[in-house]
Amino acid sequence: MTRATLMRLAALMGAIALAAWAADAAMAQGLTPPARNPFSVGVSEGGGQYTGLLGWIMARQMEFERALSGAVRAIRTTGGGFWTLAGLSFAYGVFHAAGPGHGKAVVAAYMIANEKALKRGIIISGLAALLQGFVAIAIVGVLALLLGAAAAQMREAAQWVEIASFAGIAAFGAMLALRKGRALARTLRPPAPASRFVCEAVDGDEDHVHGPDCGHSHMPDPSTLGKPRLEWRDAVLTVITAGSRPCSGAILVLVFSLAQGIFYAGVAAAFAMAIGTAITTAALATMAVLAKGLALRLTGGAASRRGEIVARALEFAAACLVLALGLALLLGFTLAGL
Amino acid sequence: MKRLALLLPLLLWSHGAHAHPHVMVGVTSEVVFVDGKVTAIRHHWTFDDMYSAFVTANLGQDGKDPTTQELQPVAQTNVESLREFDYFTVPKMNGKKAPFAAPKDYSMTFDSADKTATLHFTVPLAEAAQSKLFVFQVYDPSYFVAFAFKPGDPVTLTNAPQGCSLSVSKPKSLESEDSKKLNESFFSGLSPGSDFGAKLADRAIVACP
Repeated sequence: MTRATLMRLAALMGAIALAAWAADAAMAQGLTPPARNPFSVGVSEGGGQYTGLLGWIMARQMEFERALSGAVRAIRTTGGGFWTLAGLSFAYGVFHAAGPGHGKAVVAAYMIANEKALKRGIIISGLAALLQGFVAIAIVGVLALLLGAAAAQMREAAQWVEIASFAGIAAFGAMLALRKGRALARTLRPPAPASRFVCEAVDGDEDHVHGPDCGHSHMPDPSTLGKPRLEWRDAVLTVITAGSRPCSGAILVLVFSLAQGIFYAGVAAAFAMAIGTAITTAALATMAVLAKGLALRLTGGAASRRGEIVARALEFAAACLVLALGLALLLGFTLAGL
Repeated sequence: MKRLALLLPLLLWSHGAHAHPHVMVGVTSEVVFVDGKVTAIRHHWTFDDMYSAFVTANLGQDGKDPTTQELQPVAQTNVESLREFDYFTVPKMNGKKAPFAAPKDYSMTFDSADKTATLHFTVPLAEAAQSKLFVFQVYDPSYFVAFAFKPGDPVTLTNAPQGCSLSVSKPKSLESEDSKKLNESFFSGLSPGSDFGAKLADRAIVACP
Protein backbone atom coordinates (compact mmCIF):
# COMPACT_ATOMS: atom_id res chain seq x y z
CA MET A 1 0.00 0.00 0.00
CA THR A 2 1.32 3.39 -0.86
CA ARG A 3 1.50 6.22 1.57
CA ALA A 4 -1.23 8.05 -0.27
CA THR A 5 -3.60 5.09 -0.01
CA LEU A 6 -2.93 4.84 3.71
CA MET A 7 -3.64 8.50 4.15
CA ARG A 8 -6.86 8.22 2.23
CA LEU A 9 -7.90 5.29 4.38
CA ALA A 10 -7.09 7.18 7.55
CA ALA A 11 -9.06 10.19 6.41
CA LEU A 12 -12.01 8.04 5.51
CA MET A 13 -11.96 6.39 8.91
CA GLY A 14 -11.67 9.74 10.60
CA ALA A 15 -14.65 11.08 8.71
CA ILE A 16 -16.70 7.98 9.57
CA ALA A 17 -15.77 8.24 13.25
CA LEU A 18 -16.75 11.89 13.32
CA ALA A 19 -20.06 11.23 11.59
CA ALA A 20 -20.76 8.31 13.94
CA TRP A 21 -20.04 10.40 16.98
CA ALA A 22 -22.23 13.23 15.75
CA ALA A 23 -25.05 10.82 14.86
CA ASP A 24 -24.72 9.25 18.27
CA ALA A 25 -25.01 12.61 19.97
CA ALA A 26 -28.07 13.29 17.86
CA MET A 27 -29.61 9.95 18.78
CA ALA A 28 -28.94 10.46 22.46
CA GLN A 29 -30.66 13.82 22.27
CA GLY A 30 -33.32 13.36 19.71
CA LEU A 31 -34.46 9.86 19.05
CA THR A 32 -35.46 9.11 22.60
CA PRO A 33 -38.73 11.01 22.77
CA PRO A 34 -38.31 13.59 25.51
CA ALA A 35 -41.27 12.62 27.66
CA ARG A 36 -42.54 15.48 29.76
CA ASN A 37 -41.26 14.91 33.23
CA PRO A 38 -43.99 15.95 35.70
CA PHE A 39 -41.43 18.11 37.48
CA SER A 40 -39.86 19.66 34.40
CA VAL A 41 -39.27 23.36 34.17
CA GLY A 42 -40.62 23.35 30.62
CA VAL A 43 -37.64 22.26 28.57
CA SER A 44 -37.15 18.58 27.89
CA GLU A 45 -33.89 18.06 29.67
CA GLY A 46 -32.56 15.14 31.56
CA GLY A 47 -33.70 12.24 29.40
CA GLY A 48 -30.37 10.79 30.37
CA GLN A 49 -29.19 7.24 30.27
CA TYR A 50 -27.15 5.65 32.94
CA THR A 51 -23.84 6.00 31.22
CA GLY A 52 -20.38 6.72 32.42
CA LEU A 53 -19.04 8.22 35.61
CA LEU A 54 -22.62 8.37 36.70
CA GLY A 55 -22.24 8.41 40.45
CA TRP A 56 -19.61 11.07 40.33
CA ILE A 57 -21.59 13.34 38.05
CA MET A 58 -24.78 12.93 40.05
CA ALA A 59 -22.99 13.82 43.24
CA ARG A 60 -21.35 16.90 41.71
CA GLN A 61 -24.58 18.09 40.18
CA MET A 62 -26.45 17.85 43.44
CA GLU A 63 -23.67 19.61 45.32
CA PHE A 64 -23.80 22.36 42.72
CA GLU A 65 -27.54 22.83 43.04
CA ARG A 66 -27.34 22.89 46.82
CA ALA A 67 -24.40 25.27 46.75
CA LEU A 68 -26.25 27.56 44.32
CA SER A 69 -29.35 27.83 46.46
CA GLY A 70 -27.13 28.24 49.54
CA ALA A 71 -25.26 31.10 47.87
CA VAL A 72 -28.48 32.88 46.91
CA ARG A 73 -29.75 32.58 50.49
CA ALA A 74 -26.42 33.83 51.85
CA ILE A 75 -26.66 36.98 49.74
CA ARG A 76 -30.07 37.63 51.16
CA THR A 77 -29.23 36.98 54.80
CA THR A 78 -25.68 38.33 55.01
CA GLY A 79 -25.53 40.62 52.00
CA GLY A 80 -22.21 39.03 51.00
CA GLY A 81 -21.29 36.08 48.84
CA PHE A 82 -22.18 37.62 45.52
CA TRP A 83 -18.93 36.45 43.96
CA THR A 84 -19.39 33.00 45.42
CA LEU A 85 -22.67 32.76 43.56
CA ALA A 86 -21.10 34.09 40.35
CA GLY A 87 -18.19 31.64 40.61
CA LEU A 88 -20.47 28.69 41.32
CA SER A 89 -22.74 29.62 38.44
CA PHE A 90 -19.78 29.89 36.10
CA ALA A 91 -18.57 26.42 37.12
CA TYR A 92 -22.11 25.09 36.76
CA GLY A 93 -22.20 26.46 33.21
CA VAL A 94 -18.90 24.81 32.24
CA PHE A 95 -19.89 21.56 33.84
CA HIS A 96 -23.48 21.38 32.73
CA ALA A 97 -22.63 22.12 29.12
CA ALA A 98 -20.26 19.15 29.08
CA GLY A 99 -23.03 16.74 28.16
CA PRO A 100 -24.01 16.39 24.52
CA GLY A 101 -26.72 18.93 23.82
CA HIS A 102 -28.34 19.89 20.59
CA GLY A 103 -27.01 23.42 20.86
CA LYS A 104 -23.47 22.16 20.76
CA ALA A 105 -24.32 19.81 17.92
CA VAL A 106 -25.64 22.73 15.89
CA VAL A 107 -22.56 24.85 16.54
CA ALA A 108 -20.20 21.95 15.72
CA ALA A 109 -22.11 21.14 12.54
CA TYR A 110 -22.06 24.78 11.52
CA MET A 111 -18.32 24.88 12.05
CA ILE A 112 -17.85 21.82 9.85
CA ALA A 113 -20.33 23.00 7.25
CA ASN A 114 -18.97 26.51 6.99
CA GLU A 115 -15.79 27.53 8.42
CA LYS A 116 -12.32 27.93 8.42
CA ALA A 117 -12.12 30.68 10.96
CA LEU A 118 -11.78 29.43 14.50
CA LYS A 119 -12.36 32.91 15.86
CA ARG A 120 -15.82 33.01 14.38
CA GLY A 121 -16.73 29.68 15.96
CA ILE A 122 -15.71 30.93 19.35
CA ILE A 123 -17.69 34.14 18.93
CA ILE A 124 -20.74 32.17 17.79
CA SER A 125 -20.46 29.84 20.79
CA GLY A 126 -20.24 32.82 23.11
CA LEU A 127 -23.22 34.58 21.59
CA ALA A 128 -25.33 31.40 21.61
CA ALA A 129 -24.57 30.88 25.30
CA LEU A 130 -25.36 34.50 26.12
CA LEU A 131 -28.64 34.24 24.22
CA GLN A 132 -29.48 31.15 26.23
CA GLY A 133 -28.96 33.06 29.47
CA PHE A 134 -30.92 35.99 28.13
CA VAL A 135 -33.94 33.82 27.17
CA ALA A 136 -34.08 32.38 30.69
CA ILE A 137 -33.93 35.89 32.15
CA ALA A 138 -36.64 37.06 29.76
CA ILE A 139 -38.97 34.16 30.59
CA VAL A 140 -38.63 34.61 34.34
CA GLY A 141 -38.29 38.40 34.27
CA VAL A 142 -41.26 39.10 32.03
CA LEU A 143 -43.59 36.30 33.12
CA ALA A 144 -42.87 35.87 36.81
CA LEU A 145 -41.61 39.32 37.78
CA LEU A 146 -43.66 41.65 35.59
CA LEU A 147 -46.80 39.62 34.89
CA GLY A 148 -46.92 37.63 38.11
CA ALA A 149 -47.27 34.35 36.23
CA ALA A 150 -47.10 30.98 37.94
CA ALA A 151 -44.99 27.93 37.14
CA ALA A 152 -47.55 26.58 34.67
CA GLN A 153 -47.27 29.65 32.42
CA MET A 154 -43.47 29.72 32.61
CA ARG A 155 -43.42 26.04 31.72
CA GLU A 156 -45.66 26.65 28.76
CA ALA A 157 -43.58 29.57 27.53
CA ALA A 158 -40.40 27.52 27.80
CA GLN A 159 -42.09 24.71 25.85
CA TRP A 160 -43.06 27.03 23.02
CA VAL A 161 -39.56 28.45 22.84
CA GLU A 162 -38.31 24.89 22.70
CA ILE A 163 -40.64 23.84 19.86
CA ALA A 164 -39.70 26.96 17.92
CA SER A 165 -36.00 26.27 18.40
CA PHE A 166 -36.37 22.65 17.25
CA ALA A 167 -38.28 23.77 14.16
CA GLY A 168 -35.61 26.40 13.60
CA ILE A 169 -32.88 23.76 13.70
CA ALA A 170 -34.72 21.64 11.11
CA ALA A 171 -35.29 24.62 8.80
CA PHE A 172 -31.72 25.82 9.14
CA GLY A 173 -30.48 22.28 8.45
CA ALA A 174 -32.67 21.98 5.35
CA MET A 175 -31.36 25.27 4.01
CA LEU A 176 -27.74 24.31 4.64
CA ALA A 177 -28.22 20.81 3.19
CA LEU A 178 -29.69 22.24 0.00
CA ARG A 179 -26.86 24.70 -0.44
CA LYS A 180 -24.10 22.26 0.50
CA GLY A 181 -25.65 19.49 -1.58
CA ARG A 182 -25.52 21.72 -4.65
CA ALA A 183 -21.91 22.61 -3.95
CA LEU A 184 -21.03 18.93 -3.59
CA ALA A 185 -22.80 18.03 -6.84
CA ARG A 186 -20.86 20.74 -8.65
CA THR A 187 -17.57 19.49 -7.25
CA LEU A 188 -18.32 15.90 -8.21
CA ARG A 189 -18.87 16.85 -11.85
CA PRO A 190 -15.67 15.97 -13.72
CA PRO A 191 -13.55 18.99 -14.57
CA ALA A 192 -14.02 20.05 -18.17
CA PRO A 193 -11.13 19.64 -20.59
CA ALA A 194 -8.98 22.73 -20.48
CA SER A 195 -8.97 23.10 -24.25
CA ARG A 196 -12.63 24.06 -24.31
CA PHE A 197 -12.20 27.54 -22.97
CA VAL A 198 -15.91 28.28 -22.94
CA CYS A 199 -16.45 25.70 -20.27
CA GLU A 200 -13.49 26.06 -17.99
CA ALA A 201 -14.81 25.15 -14.58
CA VAL A 202 -13.41 27.07 -11.70
CA ASP A 203 -12.96 24.49 -9.00
CA GLY A 204 -14.54 25.42 -5.72
CA ASP A 205 -15.78 28.80 -6.81
CA GLU A 206 -19.41 28.70 -5.84
CA ASP A 207 -20.03 32.03 -7.48
CA HIS A 208 -18.83 30.99 -10.90
CA VAL A 209 -20.83 27.99 -11.98
CA HIS A 210 -21.56 26.63 -15.41
CA GLY A 211 -24.83 24.97 -16.28
CA PRO A 212 -24.91 21.44 -17.69
CA ASP A 213 -24.79 22.87 -21.19
CA CYS A 214 -21.63 24.72 -20.27
CA GLY A 215 -23.18 28.09 -20.67
CA HIS A 216 -23.91 30.48 -17.93
CA SER A 217 -25.48 33.80 -17.43
CA HIS A 218 -23.61 36.56 -15.74
CA MET A 219 -26.68 37.84 -14.09
CA PRO A 220 -26.02 37.33 -10.41
CA ASP A 221 -27.88 34.36 -8.95
CA PRO A 222 -29.97 35.76 -6.11
CA SER A 223 -29.10 32.81 -3.87
CA THR A 224 -25.40 33.55 -4.09
CA LEU A 225 -25.64 37.30 -4.23
CA GLY A 226 -23.61 38.90 -1.54
CA LYS A 227 -21.77 35.90 -0.14
CA PRO A 228 -20.60 37.71 3.00
CA ARG A 229 -24.19 38.50 3.79
CA LEU A 230 -25.07 34.82 3.37
CA GLU A 231 -22.37 33.86 5.82
CA TRP A 232 -23.62 36.45 8.26
CA ARG A 233 -27.09 35.06 7.99
CA ASP A 234 -25.79 31.55 8.68
CA ALA A 235 -23.89 32.77 11.71
CA VAL A 236 -26.92 34.57 13.11
CA LEU A 237 -29.15 31.54 12.50
CA THR A 238 -26.63 29.32 14.24
CA VAL A 239 -26.62 31.57 17.28
CA ILE A 240 -30.41 31.63 17.40
CA THR A 241 -31.02 27.92 16.85
CA ALA A 242 -28.25 26.84 19.21
CA GLY A 243 -28.98 29.36 21.92
CA SER A 244 -32.69 30.03 22.10
CA ARG A 245 -33.64 27.11 24.35
CA PRO A 246 -33.11 28.09 27.99
CA CYS A 247 -31.57 25.71 30.49
CA SER A 248 -33.51 24.49 33.51
CA GLY A 249 -30.71 25.40 35.92
CA ALA A 250 -30.84 29.06 34.92
CA ILE A 251 -34.64 29.21 35.19
CA LEU A 252 -34.55 27.62 38.64
CA VAL A 253 -31.87 29.94 40.04
CA LEU A 254 -33.72 32.96 38.62
CA VAL A 255 -37.06 32.00 40.14
CA PHE A 256 -35.39 31.18 43.42
CA SER A 257 -33.66 34.58 43.61
CA LEU A 258 -36.94 36.23 42.72
CA ALA A 259 -38.64 34.41 45.60
CA GLN A 260 -35.83 35.59 47.88
CA GLY A 261 -36.37 39.15 46.70
CA ILE A 262 -32.95 39.49 45.05
CA PHE A 263 -33.70 38.99 41.36
CA TYR A 264 -30.50 40.78 40.34
CA ALA A 265 -28.45 37.96 41.90
CA GLY A 266 -30.30 35.47 39.68
CA VAL A 267 -29.62 37.59 36.61
CA ALA A 268 -25.93 37.72 37.46
CA ALA A 269 -25.91 33.95 38.05
CA ALA A 270 -27.63 33.29 34.71
CA PHE A 271 -25.00 35.34 32.89
CA ALA A 272 -22.15 33.65 34.77
CA MET A 273 -23.63 30.30 33.72
CA ALA A 274 -23.74 31.55 30.12
CA ILE A 275 -20.04 32.43 30.20
CA GLY A 276 -19.22 28.97 31.54
CA THR A 277 -21.37 27.34 28.86
CA ALA A 278 -19.67 29.46 26.20
CA ILE A 279 -16.27 28.07 27.16
CA THR A 280 -17.36 24.45 26.82
CA THR A 281 -19.18 25.08 23.55
CA ALA A 282 -16.22 26.99 22.15
CA ALA A 283 -13.99 24.03 22.99
CA LEU A 284 -16.30 21.80 21.00
CA ALA A 285 -16.36 24.21 18.06
CA THR A 286 -12.58 24.21 18.15
CA MET A 287 -12.51 20.41 18.04
CA ALA A 288 -14.85 20.43 15.05
CA VAL A 289 -12.60 22.81 13.14
CA LEU A 290 -9.45 20.86 14.03
CA ALA A 291 -11.07 17.59 12.96
CA LYS A 292 -12.12 19.02 9.63
CA GLY A 293 -8.69 20.57 9.07
CA LEU A 294 -7.07 17.25 9.84
CA ALA A 295 -9.29 15.39 7.38
CA LEU A 296 -8.44 17.92 4.70
CA ARG A 297 -4.70 17.80 5.36
CA LEU A 298 -4.69 14.03 5.19
CA THR A 299 -6.39 14.11 1.82
CA GLY A 300 -3.93 16.54 0.36
CA GLY A 301 -5.29 19.93 1.34
CA ALA A 302 -8.33 21.86 0.23
CA ALA A 303 -6.58 22.99 -2.94
CA SER A 304 -6.49 19.54 -4.53
CA ARG A 305 -9.55 18.12 -6.23
CA ARG A 306 -9.77 15.22 -3.80
CA GLY A 307 -9.45 17.56 -0.85
CA GLU A 308 -12.19 19.67 -2.34
CA ILE A 309 -14.52 16.69 -2.64
CA VAL A 310 -13.79 15.60 0.93
CA ALA A 311 -14.43 19.12 2.19
CA ARG A 312 -17.73 19.43 0.33
CA ALA A 313 -18.82 15.95 1.43
CA LEU A 314 -18.06 16.74 5.08
CA GLU A 315 -19.95 20.01 4.82
CA PHE A 316 -22.93 18.30 3.24
CA ALA A 317 -22.92 15.55 5.89
CA ALA A 318 -22.82 18.14 8.66
CA ALA A 319 -25.71 20.03 7.10
CA CYS A 320 -27.76 16.82 6.80
CA LEU A 321 -27.01 16.12 10.44
CA VAL A 322 -28.45 19.46 11.54
CA LEU A 323 -31.57 18.71 9.52
CA ALA A 324 -31.88 15.20 10.99
CA LEU A 325 -31.31 16.50 14.50
CA GLY A 326 -33.97 19.17 14.13
CA LEU A 327 -36.50 16.69 12.74
CA ALA A 328 -35.73 14.11 15.42
CA LEU A 329 -36.10 16.66 18.20
CA LEU A 330 -39.31 18.01 16.72
CA LEU A 331 -40.73 14.54 16.14
CA GLY A 332 -39.70 13.29 19.56
CA PHE A 333 -41.34 16.33 20.98
CA THR A 334 -44.63 15.69 19.24
CA LEU A 335 -44.52 11.99 20.08
CA ALA A 336 -44.11 12.89 23.72
CA GLY A 337 -47.62 14.31 23.49
CA LEU A 338 -46.55 17.85 24.28
CA MET B 1 -3.00 11.15 13.77
CA LYS B 2 -1.59 12.19 17.13
CA ARG B 3 -3.99 15.03 17.35
CA LEU B 4 -6.90 12.75 16.55
CA ALA B 5 -5.80 10.48 19.38
CA LEU B 6 -5.94 13.48 21.68
CA LEU B 7 -9.43 14.35 20.52
CA LEU B 8 -10.87 10.92 21.14
CA PRO B 9 -10.95 10.96 24.97
CA LEU B 10 -12.51 14.41 24.82
CA LEU B 11 -15.27 13.13 22.58
CA LEU B 12 -15.87 10.17 24.86
CA TRP B 13 -15.91 12.41 27.88
CA SER B 14 -18.44 14.73 26.35
CA HIS B 15 -20.57 11.71 25.61
CA GLY B 16 -20.37 10.34 29.13
CA ALA B 17 -21.54 13.41 30.99
CA HIS B 18 -25.18 12.91 30.36
CA ALA B 19 -27.23 12.48 33.50
CA HIS B 20 -28.03 15.67 35.30
CA PRO B 21 -30.66 15.91 38.01
CA HIS B 22 -32.35 19.29 38.36
CA VAL B 23 -34.87 18.52 41.04
CA MET B 24 -34.21 16.86 44.37
CA VAL B 25 -36.99 15.17 46.31
CA GLY B 26 -36.85 13.96 49.91
CA VAL B 27 -39.24 11.04 50.27
CA THR B 28 -41.23 9.70 53.21
CA SER B 29 -43.78 6.99 52.60
CA GLU B 30 -46.43 5.09 54.51
CA VAL B 31 -47.25 1.51 53.64
CA VAL B 32 -50.97 1.16 54.31
CA PHE B 33 -52.47 -2.16 55.37
CA VAL B 34 -56.14 -3.10 55.47
CA ASP B 35 -57.15 -6.46 56.99
CA GLY B 36 -53.55 -7.60 57.00
CA LYS B 37 -53.00 -6.84 53.31
CA VAL B 38 -50.93 -4.11 51.71
CA THR B 39 -53.40 -1.82 49.93
CA ALA B 40 -51.59 1.44 49.18
CA ILE B 41 -48.52 3.62 49.47
CA ARG B 42 -48.97 7.14 50.74
CA HIS B 43 -46.15 9.40 49.61
CA HIS B 44 -44.92 12.72 50.99
CA TRP B 45 -42.41 14.25 48.62
CA THR B 46 -40.54 17.37 49.71
CA PHE B 47 -38.94 19.34 46.88
CA ASP B 48 -35.66 21.22 47.18
CA ASP B 49 -35.92 24.95 47.83
CA MET B 50 -35.19 26.01 44.25
CA TYR B 51 -37.81 23.82 42.66
CA SER B 52 -40.23 24.70 45.47
CA ALA B 53 -39.78 28.38 44.59
CA PHE B 54 -40.50 27.57 40.94
CA VAL B 55 -43.59 25.45 41.49
CA THR B 56 -45.16 27.89 43.98
CA ALA B 57 -44.13 31.09 42.18
CA ASN B 58 -46.73 33.87 42.44
CA LEU B 59 -49.38 31.54 43.85
CA GLY B 60 -49.60 33.13 47.31
CA GLN B 61 -51.80 36.21 47.79
CA ASP B 62 -49.98 39.54 48.22
CA GLY B 63 -46.53 38.01 48.45
CA LYS B 64 -47.54 35.65 51.25
CA ASP B 65 -46.71 31.97 51.18
CA PRO B 66 -49.29 29.97 49.23
CA THR B 67 -51.97 28.11 51.15
CA THR B 68 -52.81 24.45 50.66
CA GLN B 69 -55.95 25.56 48.87
CA GLU B 70 -53.98 27.76 46.49
CA LEU B 71 -51.65 24.84 45.80
CA GLN B 72 -54.43 22.32 45.10
CA PRO B 73 -54.35 22.83 41.29
CA VAL B 74 -50.59 22.22 41.33
CA ALA B 75 -51.05 19.02 43.31
CA GLN B 76 -53.69 17.85 40.87
CA THR B 77 -51.57 18.55 37.78
CA ASN B 78 -48.58 16.84 39.35
CA VAL B 79 -50.45 13.72 40.39
CA GLU B 80 -52.19 13.46 37.01
CA SER B 81 -48.96 13.75 35.07
CA LEU B 82 -47.24 11.31 37.41
CA ARG B 83 -49.49 8.52 36.18
CA GLU B 84 -47.53 8.25 32.91
CA PHE B 85 -44.41 7.72 34.98
CA ASP B 86 -46.00 5.17 37.33
CA TYR B 87 -45.49 7.64 40.17
CA PHE B 88 -41.75 6.94 39.93
CA THR B 89 -42.53 4.11 42.31
CA VAL B 90 -41.73 0.46 41.67
CA PRO B 91 -43.53 -1.85 44.12
CA LYS B 92 -42.86 -5.56 44.16
CA MET B 93 -45.16 -8.00 45.89
CA ASN B 94 -43.44 -11.30 46.67
CA GLY B 95 -41.00 -10.58 43.86
CA LYS B 96 -43.62 -9.62 41.24
CA LYS B 97 -44.29 -6.12 40.03
CA ALA B 98 -47.58 -4.84 41.48
CA PRO B 99 -49.67 -2.44 39.34
CA PHE B 100 -51.27 0.73 40.70
CA ALA B 101 -54.85 1.99 40.66
CA ALA B 102 -55.79 5.69 40.31
CA PRO B 103 -54.22 8.03 42.88
CA LYS B 104 -56.27 9.77 45.57
CA ASP B 105 -56.11 12.13 48.54
CA TYR B 106 -53.60 14.49 46.98
CA SER B 107 -52.55 17.90 48.21
CA MET B 108 -49.54 20.18 48.40
CA THR B 109 -48.36 22.02 51.48
CA PHE B 110 -45.80 24.78 51.84
CA ASP B 111 -43.43 24.96 54.81
CA SER B 112 -42.84 28.64 55.55
CA ALA B 113 -39.74 28.00 57.66
CA ASP B 114 -37.90 25.85 55.10
CA LYS B 115 -39.54 27.46 52.07
CA THR B 116 -40.17 24.01 50.66
CA ALA B 117 -43.23 22.47 49.06
CA THR B 118 -44.38 18.94 49.82
CA LEU B 119 -46.65 16.88 47.59
CA HIS B 120 -48.84 14.36 49.42
CA PHE B 121 -50.70 11.59 47.60
CA THR B 122 -51.85 8.01 47.93
CA VAL B 123 -51.43 5.39 45.22
CA PRO B 124 -53.51 2.28 45.91
CA LEU B 125 -52.34 -1.06 44.60
CA ALA B 126 -54.67 -2.41 41.95
CA GLU B 127 -55.01 -5.57 44.00
CA ALA B 128 -54.48 -5.72 47.73
CA ALA B 129 -52.44 -8.79 48.53
CA GLN B 130 -51.28 -10.83 51.44
CA SER B 131 -47.64 -10.06 51.38
CA LYS B 132 -44.74 -11.97 52.81
CA LEU B 133 -42.33 -9.65 51.11
CA PHE B 134 -43.27 -6.19 49.88
CA VAL B 135 -40.46 -4.10 48.42
CA PHE B 136 -40.64 -0.69 46.84
CA GLN B 137 -38.28 1.87 45.39
CA VAL B 138 -38.79 5.46 44.34
CA TYR B 139 -36.64 6.71 41.47
CA ASP B 140 -36.67 8.52 38.15
CA PRO B 141 -34.90 6.39 35.53
CA SER B 142 -34.13 9.49 33.45
CA TYR B 143 -32.56 11.06 36.49
CA PHE B 144 -34.10 14.47 35.97
CA VAL B 145 -35.39 14.11 39.51
CA ALA B 146 -33.15 12.74 42.26
CA PHE B 147 -35.30 10.89 44.78
CA ALA B 148 -33.94 9.84 48.17
CA PHE B 149 -35.55 8.72 51.39
CA LYS B 150 -35.29 11.37 54.07
CA PRO B 151 -32.98 10.65 57.01
CA GLY B 152 -34.52 9.25 60.18
CA ASP B 153 -37.52 6.99 59.72
CA PRO B 154 -38.65 7.74 56.18
CA VAL B 155 -40.94 4.72 55.87
CA THR B 156 -43.72 3.83 58.29
CA LEU B 157 -46.25 1.01 58.39
CA THR B 158 -49.88 1.94 58.97
CA ASN B 159 -52.20 -0.64 60.44
CA ALA B 160 -49.71 -3.45 59.83
CA PRO B 161 -50.40 -6.91 61.28
CA GLN B 162 -48.34 -8.21 64.18
CA GLY B 163 -44.85 -9.33 63.38
CA CYS B 164 -44.23 -7.28 60.22
CA SER B 165 -40.76 -5.83 59.99
CA LEU B 166 -39.42 -2.96 57.97
CA SER B 167 -36.00 -2.07 56.69
CA VAL B 168 -34.77 0.73 54.47
CA SER B 169 -31.55 0.30 52.55
CA LYS B 170 -29.57 3.09 51.01
CA PRO B 171 -27.62 2.04 47.93
CA LYS B 172 -24.20 0.68 48.75
CA SER B 173 -21.29 1.96 46.80
CA LEU B 174 -21.48 0.06 43.56
CA GLU B 175 -20.22 -3.48 43.61
CA SER B 176 -16.99 -3.96 41.72
CA GLU B 177 -18.87 -5.87 39.02
CA ASP B 178 -21.21 -2.90 38.56
CA SER B 179 -18.39 -0.42 38.43
CA LYS B 180 -16.77 -2.51 35.75
CA LYS B 181 -20.03 -2.47 33.80
CA LEU B 182 -20.20 1.29 34.14
CA ASN B 183 -16.67 1.69 32.90
CA GLU B 184 -17.33 -0.57 29.95
CA SER B 185 -20.48 1.30 29.09
CA PHE B 186 -18.59 4.55 29.38
CA PHE B 187 -16.14 3.45 26.73
CA SER B 188 -18.63 1.69 24.49
CA GLY B 189 -21.17 4.48 24.83
CA LEU B 190 -23.91 1.93 25.53
CA SER B 191 -26.24 1.85 28.47
CA PRO B 192 -25.08 -0.53 31.20
CA GLY B 193 -28.58 -1.96 31.51
CA SER B 194 -32.04 -0.79 32.36
CA ASP B 195 -31.86 -2.04 35.93
CA PHE B 196 -29.21 0.46 36.79
CA GLY B 197 -31.55 3.10 38.16
CA ALA B 198 -33.04 0.48 40.46
CA LYS B 199 -29.62 -0.52 41.73
CA LEU B 200 -28.80 3.04 42.68
CA ALA B 201 -32.15 3.79 44.32
CA ASP B 202 -33.09 3.52 47.97
CA ARG B 203 -35.17 0.46 48.80
CA ALA B 204 -37.82 -0.16 51.43
CA ILE B 205 -38.45 -3.78 52.41
CA VAL B 206 -41.50 -4.92 54.38
CA ALA B 207 -41.54 -8.52 55.53
CA CYS B 208 -44.63 -10.03 57.12
CA PRO B 209 -45.12 -13.48 58.62
